[in-house]
Amino acid sequence: MSSPADLNGRARTLEDLRRVIRRIENVRAARPAPEPIERLVGGEVMDTGGGPLVVVRREFPLSHRHGRLALGDALAVAAPALELLAPLGAPSDPHGLLFLDTETTGLAGGTGTYAFLVGAAFIENERFVLVQHFMRDFDEEPALLAAIDPLLDRASGIVTFNGGGFDLPLLETRFVLARRRWPATLAHVDLLRPARRVWSAHFDDCRLPTLERRVLGLVRENDVPGYLIPALYFDFLRYRRAAPLTRVFEHNRDDVLSLAALLGWFARALTADADLGAGELAGIGRLWERCDPGRAAAYYERALEAGLAGEEGHRVRLRLARWEKRQARWDEACALWQAASAARVFDVTPWEELAKYHEHRRRDFSTALRIVRDALAFARAAGAPVRALDALGYRLARLERRTQGAVTAPA
Amino acid sequence: MLGEILDDLLTSPSTGPCITTFRQFPARPPVFVPLPSSVDPRLAEALRARGISQLYSHQGKAWALIEKGHNVVVVTPTASGKTLCYNLPVLQALLGQPDARVLYLFPTKALAQDQLAELEGIAKALPELRMFTYDGDTPQDARRAVRARANLVLTNPDMLHSGILPHHTKWAVLFQNLRYVVIDELHAYRGVFGSHVANVIRRLRRLCRHYGSAPQFIMASATIANPGELAERIIGEGVEAIAESGAPTGDKLFLCYNPPVVNAELGIRAPYLGEAAKLATRFLSEKIPTIVFAQSRLSTEVLLTAIKTGVADKTGDAGIVRGYRGGYLPTRRRAVEQGLRAGDVLGVVSTNALELGVDIGHLDVAVLAGYPGTIASLWQQSGRAGRRSGASAAVFVATSAPLDQFMVTHPDYLFGASPEHARVNPDNPFILVNHLKCAAFELPFAPSADGDGVEKFGEVDVRPELAALEDEGLLHQAGGRWHWASETYPADHISLRTVTTDNFLVIDTTARDEKQTKRRQIIAEVDWGSAFATIYPKAIYLVESVPYEVQELHFREDEEKVAYVKRVTVDYFTDAISAKGVWILRRLAEREHPAYVAEQGEVLVAEKVVGFKKIKMGTLENVGSGEVELPQQEMQTTSAWVTIAADVLARISRSREELIDGLRAVGYLLHHLAPIFLLCDIRDLGSWLGDTTPAQPGAVVTRESARRRLLEAERFNPTIYLYDSHAGGIGLAERVFDVLPLLFERGRDTLGACPCRFGCPSCVGPVNEVGRRAKATAAALLRELTR
Repeated sequence: MSSPADLNGRARTLEDLRRVIRRIENVRAARPAPEPIERLVGGEVMDTGGGPLVVVRREFPLSHRHGRLALGDALAVAAPALELLAPLGAPSDPHGLLFLDTETTGLAGGTGTYAFLVGAAFIENERFVLVQHFMRDFDEEPALLAAIDPLLDRASGIVTFNGGGFDLPLLETRFVLARRRWPATLAHVDLLRPARRVWSAHFDDCRLPTLERRVLGLVRENDVPGYLIPALYFDFLRYRRAAPLTRVFEHNRDDVLSLAALLGWFARALTADADLGAGELAGIGRLWERCDPGRAAAYYERALEAGLAGEEGHRVRLRLARWEKRQARWDEACALWQAASAARVFDVTPWEELAKYHEHRRRDFSTALRIVRDALAFARAAGAPVRALDALGYRLARLERRTQGAVTAPA
Repeated sequence: MLGEILDDLLTSPSTGPCITTFRQFPARPPVFVPLPSSVDPRLAEALRARGISQLYSHQGKAWALIEKGHNVVVVTPTASGKTLCYNLPVLQALLGQPDARVLYLFPTKALAQDQLAELEGIAKALPELRMFTYDGDTPQDARRAVRARANLVLTNPDMLHSGILPHHTKWAVLFQNLRYVVIDELHAYRGVFGSHVANVIRRLRRLCRHYGSAPQFIMASATIANPGELAERIIGEGVEAIAESGAPTGDKLFLCYNPPVVNAELGIRAPYLGEAAKLATRFLSEKIPTIVFAQSRLSTEVLLTAIKTGVADKTGDAGIVRGYRGGYLPTRRRAVEQGLRAGDVLGVVSTNALELGVDIGHLDVAVLAGYPGTIASLWQQSGRAGRRSGASAAVFVATSAPLDQFMVTHPDYLFGASPEHARVNPDNPFILVNHLKCAAFELPFAPSADGDGVEKFGEVDVRPELAALEDEGLLHQAGGRWHWASETYPADHISLRTVTTDNFLVIDTTARDEKQTKRRQIIAEVDWGSAFATIYPKAIYLVESVPYEVQELHFREDEEKVAYVKRVTVDYFTDAISAKGVWILRRLAEREHPAYVAEQGEVLVAEKVVGFKKIKMGTLENVGSGEVELPQQEMQTTSAWVTIAADVLARISRSREELIDGLRAVGYLLHHLAPIFLLCDIRDLGSWLGDTTPAQPGAVVTRESARRRLLEAERFNPTIYLYDSHAGGIGLAERVFDVLPLLFERGRDTLGACPCRFGCPSCVGPVNEVGRRAKATAAALLRELTR
């Protein structure tokens, strides 16, 4: 069914291709014998049941320090804390956790992205065991998946950093492609979520290296930037250049160790009276809010006592006020709204809450009216958005009607 | 009322003589067959509730063939109940097999929405059906639910290509259980778009094989010459075509209207847009629902302006007429569709965007302002008017172009001609290689069953292409399989519809300047391909006949593609003037004749917008011009070309000037007549007079460069090019090369029969553009070429 143009086109393509192939063959002839990567990274080639695979196994005592924290600190995480960290089903036992991090051929996702190095760590005989699985080419992927399948199977839960958005869907795709069953009900602690709650307000970003530096007190030396990793692997595939990949193995190992250390940090912060900054107290409060609002309120109070200021302090004050309001502790709530209405940047919420309180609860229309007038003056001076001005204006009109009504009603 | 107006048009002295022919298509009664006994009783009940207790014959035939396991394409007119042909077996499967999954493909999101609404009507009482659209408008958080719940997914080829196939593991259940794939509006998948879609289907079927399913394909198409062949090319398997419709039709009148000659000397007729506007205004003033089809976005706006003015004069209400075209924002288009269905909008002026099956209810009259380019479109557009009962009419208003004039004066050809062939070339090297990348991303290429080569892609042995992709560093071979080895997501860089994915946003700054607001008021979108010809600086851009002047156009690679416009009050619109150049890249075939050498091969076509004309609204006279500075756009494609022997040229004239005019005239004529032989749209081809100089790197076109080069060249070897206007070519140039001798003869005869003295738009082009000697020179040239 080919038309003449296809035939011509294809004949020409073939010509070009022959040239290409000749060039490839020449390159191949000159290629040196591949350097054995397993020796460079201190691992060995093992048959994991699905064919040969490079496996690097390292053991650490639980007392091993990664930055300021020991790896074993992660085991102190108590059941209610695990529930906070894994909202979609908590792991039953911290001793059965699997710490997981993958290095991939890209960030695009979809079926054409491979996880070529999977680092997984678990506790065995009171030791922290970190096993890295590496495929030397695409045809070793079945062996890699065969090796991590039993680890997932055994685990009481998985700990990752952004695994919910990246590592786990990617591994699931690889499993489905290889016709392996993916354990859909894995309990999962994705540390990115609580990290954002606690630190996003006062760190520039919540990337793992940032947290290591500022929370764990750890600075990586000579770390390979993440964006270079796919290219280093493709280089290895084509030219068998193994040496640059050793840094990728180190990078992956550090990532996995940081998972344990970070979980240790949360274990202490959530349960014990750790030495926390005002911002961190507020963040931990946010984490508690879903399961134990009373405890969250206590953390908020401590955060304010510790001098939490600025926009963050303002937000915490409003959250706390909402809690007091729900408990019908009006004096406490009003005090917080009062304080919040004095914030340097105009926010209509505390003013509205105060006005509502006086109008509906105390039925003191004239105080409510005064508050709304003050709020409007403040809002105008602060150049508040039209929407806020409109809302206040509407409230003002209603209150004016009501106060007049109150005067004329008895007549 | 309709009858009276038509009567008046036929008999009045001002319009009667313009109607060159009219034909009546009598009403046709329905042909029914009983509902097949194998239809699930629950489904039969649901149909009865909708008033369907028997089937039209074509629906019955489709049911029988699909039941036997055939792939089917149904080709019957608009409003003949095509959708039931596929909905029936699909619903049956979903009722009977709880695991079965079905995929519907529509060329646009709006059509998928329409169909979902129709299905929901039938399926209200059937809880087994879980139908969802899945496209660019589906919110991210709803996508997971659709994947998990839907057993019928309505989407479009673009989404399948970039959103579903590359993530097939998330759709594993669908692929494992895919029972039917429905492709509606199959005729839309021709040319480059169709060639892409054929490859998307190759990828789909490859994944189905991986998951162990083998879906049956049910397709529906408007009338084209080769629906079965097109369907087979698109899905890569045998297909049964069903063409006889059992649906009833009402009385229909088809009129051909040739605008009156206003200057016999120059062969100039009254402007067809004005005539079409007058006719439409007449119908609309009597409250007769009317659709007007224009041939370009610009003429849509010009027509809309004229009709709005006309209707407002007569009825005082211009709001009952709306515009509709690509580039309008989706909300505006949905509002017009809704208005037409509800009857708030009485008339609409549209490009071929409304040719597809978008649900706009029923209209009584279709006015076709200009030949739509193909017989298939002609019937599709005129089919927009008509009900199952009651009379309707279609009026074709001819332009002065040779093809229109040929059609309007040869009604037997018009009514007797086969509709065009829809062509696709899935093996076009550019397109094929792009989809190989996507396919490798989705699943590594495996060794063939015999272990000797590599699995085929469709029917193609792709080893050479895979080797080339490996050399480019995109694929990597391991264990006999070719894996995707790049960080990129290839589907993101491949658009099925145009060469680039960049669309320009048209932003109105009028309000911004007045109120100092920063809000971006987006009023339209323009695709990359037509941006330079429509939104160049100082252009008047019309949106539903409201004029905006383009202030700035941002097109550099590193900036957002935006045109800033400002509302203006002007009485003119602008039309771009472009310069062009064609250079030969590679010769692939050659044929010699005593008078000429005909060749075929690959060329580089460069085009550049260099200026514009200002044209007064209403009178359409030229009232000024301007210059613009824009980059040149280049395309590689296939072409046929003819170089005339020097001694032949010398016999005809000694003046190069004269010869150039004559040759340009011949090119114009051949270009306009070629679609009759190629059964293609005139816009599928381009023409050019140049020479055979090979392409120079950095060659830049200017308005006069080709002419000057021809005049000044040491050796005078002018060459007429007829090229395929789709990048990479879809096989038209080869056909032109084959039919050249016949084309020359037709050109000679057309010229001989044209009554004008010095050339007119209906033969060699308007005399003031081609020169007074052009017609005679062209006639002499064609005599030599056909000797």
